[in-house]
Amino acid sequence: MSRNTLLWILGIAGTLLATAVAVAWMTVGGDRGILLPGKTTDAHHQIELACETCHAAGAFANAKKAEKALNKACRGCHEAELKAAKDSHPPGKFRNPRMAAYWEKLDARLCTACHVEHRPETTRTSAVTTPTDFCVACHSEEEQDVRVNRPSHASLAFDTCASSGCHNYHDNQALYADFLVRHADQPWLAPVPMHRFSAQAQTRTFRTEAAPGRGDAVAPESALRDPAILDAWAGSGHAAAGENCAACHAPAAAKRAGLAEIEAQWVEAPDMAVCEDCHRWQTKTFARGRHGMRQHPRVSKPRNPRRRLAALGLGGWLPEAAVARFTDPAPPRRMTVGEARLPMHAETAHLSLHCGSCHRPHAVDTEAAAVEACASCHNDPHTQAYFGSPHHALWEAEVAGEAEPGTGVSCATCHLEKVERRGNIAVNHNQNDLLRPNSKMIRPVCLDCHGLGFSLDALADPGLIARNFKGKPEIQVESMAWAIRRTVEKPEEEGAGSRVQSPWRNSP
Amino acid sequence: MNRNLFRQTGITCCVVVALAGTGSAAGEGVPYRQVADMLYTVVSADREVYTHMVVQRLVEDQQVISASEHFEDDAALPLPAQMFRFGAEKVEEQTEDFSYALLSLWPINKQNGPATELEREGLERVAENPEENFYGEEELAGQRYFAAVYPDIAVAEACASCHNNHKDSPRTDIEVGDVLGGVVIRLPML
Repeated sequence: MSRNTLLWILGIAGTLLATAVAVAWMTVGGDRGILLPGKTTDAHHQIELACETCHAAGAFANAKKAEKALNKACRGCHEAELKAAKDSHPPGKFRNPRMAAYWEKLDARLCTACHVEHRPETTRTSAVTTPTDFCVACHSEEEQDVRVNRPSHASLAFDTCASSGCHNYHDNQALYADFLVRHADQPWLAPVPMHRFSAQAQTRTFRTEAAPGRGDAVAPESALRDPAILDAWAGSGHAAAGENCAACHAPAAAKRAGLAEIEAQWVEAPDMAVCEDCHRWQTKTFARGRHGMRQHPRVSKPRNPRRRLAALGLGGWLPEAAVARFTDPAPPRRMTVGEARLPMHAETAHLSLHCGSCHRPHAVDTEAAAVEACASCHNDPHTQAYFGSPHHALWEAEVAGEAEPGTGVSCATCHLEKVERRGNIAVNHNQNDLLRPNSKMIRPVCLDCHGLGFSLDALADPGLIARNFKGKPEIQVESMAWAIRRTVEKPEEEGAGSRVQSPWRNSP
Repeated sequence: MNRNLFRQTGITCCVVVALAGTGSAAGEGVPYRQVADMLYTVVSADREVYTHMVVQRLVEDQQVISASEHFEDDAALPLPAQMFRFGAEKVEEQTEDFSYALLSLWPINKQNGPATELEREGLERVAENPEENFYGEEELAGQRYFAAVYPDIAVAEACASCHNNHKDSPRTDIEVGDVLGGVVIRLPML
């Protein structure tokens, strides 16, 4: 056998072997990290090896089925967020066949028209992979030409629509023209600046008749030795609501069981599942956000190689040692600080994210969770600049009891939305809901204290954001002035009709 | 109030989805035109009921709530045209067996102007001859469709006045009885 022939045989055998291993990793199990076609976007990198979460149609599905499954996966996790944002471009709007001509330009029926994973070289903020002038696809021709319909827009380039603080593709709740006009006369700061839901959350009262005191703690002797823990619990909302130690440390024995049963079932460090029993919505939204997404129920679980081999007719045929090689690597069940791509304090890299990471387990102190917990890990200019900022000074005054509840501004005030649910104030733990585009914060947060014009300008000024709002905006967003000119001042010059109230709006 | 609205929307969707079955039956005997006419009967009846029994009654007669384009911010009722569109979008989420849209040659929202040659021709024809519906066929993205266009008339003063006064409306001379636009119903042809 000649040397060349031998090399050919070895080459072909090696290629076949490598292909077989790659196919086995794809279809059976094993570490698929090497198969990743490109760096995944921020946040999604936490689940990048749970491939089936998005590629739910299977390795050999045709392109159409694979695309459908991908888009279904997007909506599976982001649907609630888009609904809350009153999505301006919901896919349903574009399914009507009359939109067929647009499908070729930008197929807005699909999330993947604008958000393609594994494309780091073209990925922009919010995982957008289309060019910045994507609006041109549908708003630039004939009757749809916004430069003709809006004389104020005649000289604008399409790459400025979504980058100027004027428009978003999905969430325009604080940006639409009538809203701008209605809020045009607001001063930069409200006469009584106060975040109303924060104020409501802090002034609520618990039922206190059944509240156990420090001496009423029921727990094994060994757990009662730390007076600091007992003090923290006795002063917490948990105690105020009548919850004793066993509610978390031995939940199955908490009701009516005696100390012996509680001791038997005692868990020293309860899992998040215990929190979830009572705080369902909080844990549900936590799993939708960047801190907890590995726990989202739609994230695929590690594959079972035995079951997959059996499906291929290889069940029981391969030895255990070989099957073990097809085991999926198990990433930590919880995100660790060290895995984050944002700047973090190195000394916290080993910490993982769960309820107790931010909330002290016995004091359940929301004050610490609102600032200290965030700053103990996050180490970027915006976070660093918070300390010493006007917002921070207000927060310190509120915490010290020198100012009214709701007048302070913590990290959580802006980044963890407070909502009213069944008469109570609840915190949405999906920080993504208010994160990007930052104009999402305007209605639920900024407008409680600031005017809309000031808010738009401030959020459009990256320097001011990096300084954590020390100073005044150096950018002026023109949208409000244009909306006023078009609807109130000079409608005839802006191609608009006069603004007269509809007869259906005359009544109360 | 909201519960009733949702109930009505639900009933509308159920009826329309039930009729979607007849859309696919078109190839088995029921003519496309008849299927389109039946769908139009349902969607236009629901809109009329919403307009008269919900909006006009509560806004004009009993004066307990207003109706507004920005109904969420204003804690008001959606306008009848918005209600109609929400129904159409809901249908599009559920089936490709048929679709419908409320369009105009003079739309307040430019997206509701004609998007195909057939839509333009149909809207022009029903504007000139409000007594006659327009029927035709067209091919979109490789699929042949039967399309029907029904004239949409300004039946109440509120319709005319809103379209005349809205800042984004291209017309200011609409009177009660004028054609405002048309309802376009499409059925994919088997």
